[in-house]
Amino acid sequence: MNAAVDNIYLPKLAVLDRVVDEIHEVRTFYWHFEDAEEQRKFRRFRPGQFAQVSLFGTGEFPASLPPSPTEDETFFTVKRVGSCSAALHALRPGDKFAVRGPYGNGFPMEDYRGQNLVFVAGGIGLIPLRSCIIYALAHRDQYRRIQVFYGAKSPRDLMYLPNLREWEQGAGVEFYPTVDRGDADWKGNVGVVGSLFKKPGVEVPVADTVAFVCGPPVMFRFVIKDLQALGFTDRQIVSTLERYMKCGVGKCGHCCIGMAYVCVDGPVFTCEQIKQLGEDI
Amino acid sequence: MRTRILARVDVLQVVDLLRQQGYEVIAPFAGRGRDTFFDTVTNANRADIQIHLPNPYYPPKRYVLPHIERLLKVQRMNGGWQIEPTVAAPKRAIFGLRSCDVAGIWHLDRFYLGRDFRDSYYEQRRQNLFLVNVVCTDTERDISDDCFCVCADTGPAARDHFDLQLMDLDDGEFMAVAGTPAGEALFASPIFRKGTAAHVERRHAVLSEVRKRFKTTTSWFSATVRYVSQGRILDKTWEEIGNRCLECGGCTYVCPACTCFTVSDRQVGPDEIERVRIWDACALSGFTRMAGGHNPRRAVHDRRNRRFFRKLAHYFIQRELSVACMGCGRCAAVCHGDIGMPSVVEMIRRATAAEDKLEPVKP
Repeated sequence: MNAAVDNIYLPKLAVLDRVVDEIHEVRTFYWHFEDAEEQRKFRRFRPGQFAQVSLFGTGEFPASLPPSPTEDETFFTVKRVGSCSAALHALRPGDKFAVRGPYGNGFPMEDYRGQNLVFVAGGIGLIPLRSCIIYALAHRDQYRRIQVFYGAKSPRDLMYLPNLREWEQGAGVEFYPTVDRGDADWKGNVGVVGSLFKKPGVEVPVADTVAFVCGPPVMFRFVIKDLQALGFTDRQIVSTLERYMKCGVGKCGHCCIGMAYVCVDGPVFTCEQIKQLGEDI
Repeated sequence: MRTRILARVDVLQVVDLLRQQGYEVIAPFAGRGRDTFFDTVTNANRADIQIHLPNPYYPPKRYVLPHIERLLKVQRMNGGWQIEPTVAAPKRAIFGLRSCDVAGIWHLDRFYLGRDFRDSYYEQRRQNLFLVNVVCTDTERDISDDCFCVCADTGPAARDHFDLQLMDLDDGEFMAVAGTPAGEALFASPIFRKGTAAHVERRHAVLSEVRKRFKTTTSWFSATVRYVSQGRILDKTWEEIGNRCLECGGCTYVCPACTCFTVSDRQVGPDEIERVRIWDACALSGFTRMAGGHNPRRAVHDRRNRRFFRKLAHYFIQRELSVACMGCGRCAAVCHGDIGMPSVVEMIRRATAAEDKLEPVKP
């Protein structure tokens, strides 16, 4: 192959460093590129971008980037659902796979300077939002209030526990967790994540605020309604969409929604943009 | 553009010239019945090359975007992997490319080489490809009732994006038009001579006769583009189109402008894997299905909506500078449900006009 032409489908070798169990079927995979130069280039990613992960012999899949570029380590958090994620779950520290990216537009965190940030995550929807939350906390002086609303099915489905503990203890963030079903030890809120907005003691800022929403489709629909009821406009709500992707670079066509190729035009869209795409998400 | 005249008996010498220059020459041949196909020219089949014939259903886009193309060869080595990109970009010439297919390759050029990322596999194949366009002038053999290049504004004679264009002037002579310096370089051969004003007149006379042959003279593209872009198409129209779709994917496989592919790893040896890309079709239900089973586009009419939106929406036309339909008529010929592009355009136009939401006088 002609060396002068960049090969957009060529993944680079990565080494798995360690694996951390998050919740049922969800694990965090810490890794680094074998080539230090690749690692350095990759680390310029923005919150909200994604990468294509190759498990040779099984295939390639798009994965959100949960780390913030302000952190030292690179990792993926992946739920085991299909053949590729199962192949990743089968890897042991020291095993090799391959990664290419980062891809996508990411969240325009610089544009949100001086504003309040409200994060609303449902289940594993926290994975892409984690990057923005950590990034915002690392640039704490650039933003006003930071709120995190996080809903999970049960206390056993809360992920990133070390981060949750930090957020609970203040650290410049107002943190409101909730679960659909509590257990004997659960002292916190029980109910869907949108129900938190109107709880006594919770006050969601609306003026000069951006709301980040990520979660399963049902949660997404209801949270949008709840936010609109508070006075949020579609332009103030941003989300990141998930799609089946084969290339990640705007060619294979699988991720197209209406007029957008999610991989290059997204995956981050405002609610206003999502409504203009011309197709259901 | 530079033009020359050559005798009909010398036309296949263009193939010989290209072969002498080291090109693998692809040309159209006739099989049994309606069947026609592109194949590599050899000494044995050179005399069978057809100048006038129905355009092959299997589109020549496979010479820039193969039906199955290997992207990577991956070998397991000392606990790691050795990843080797593979590209096969032979020096090739397509002889007898119809004007619609010239426009198709130009459309693929803008898609695969445009925007943020350039596809290096496509690029290298394309750089090594020489295009000889033959204008459809035989109203019986070249043009079928499904052809509508005049509506898509791609034919019958391509205006550019070929290296060499050949046109039968119907009096024992062909006109050759050079579209690139590489095409013009062929004019050094003694088979070409300078033409006269009479030849130019003859070209225009032939073309105006040929244009009258097309059955679908109005495809209503412009109105449909507007309706699609404005989201004014009725759900029942998509449902009707969806009901007639057999989900075979045929329309996308024969389309010279369809770009979608899937990527798959296949085991080729105990420690060796190939990553290949394969043409894919948005008509197929698994096209958008994600791991875990969630499928945002479930009903077949959603998927038909998708295909025609992608081809006709103003947003994409602006980005790619043309409707993603070249008017070749292949989808109309292969579709068992009669929902090729001309039919769909007509169905949309009729249904949307019949229930015109913008009609100022309501009943």
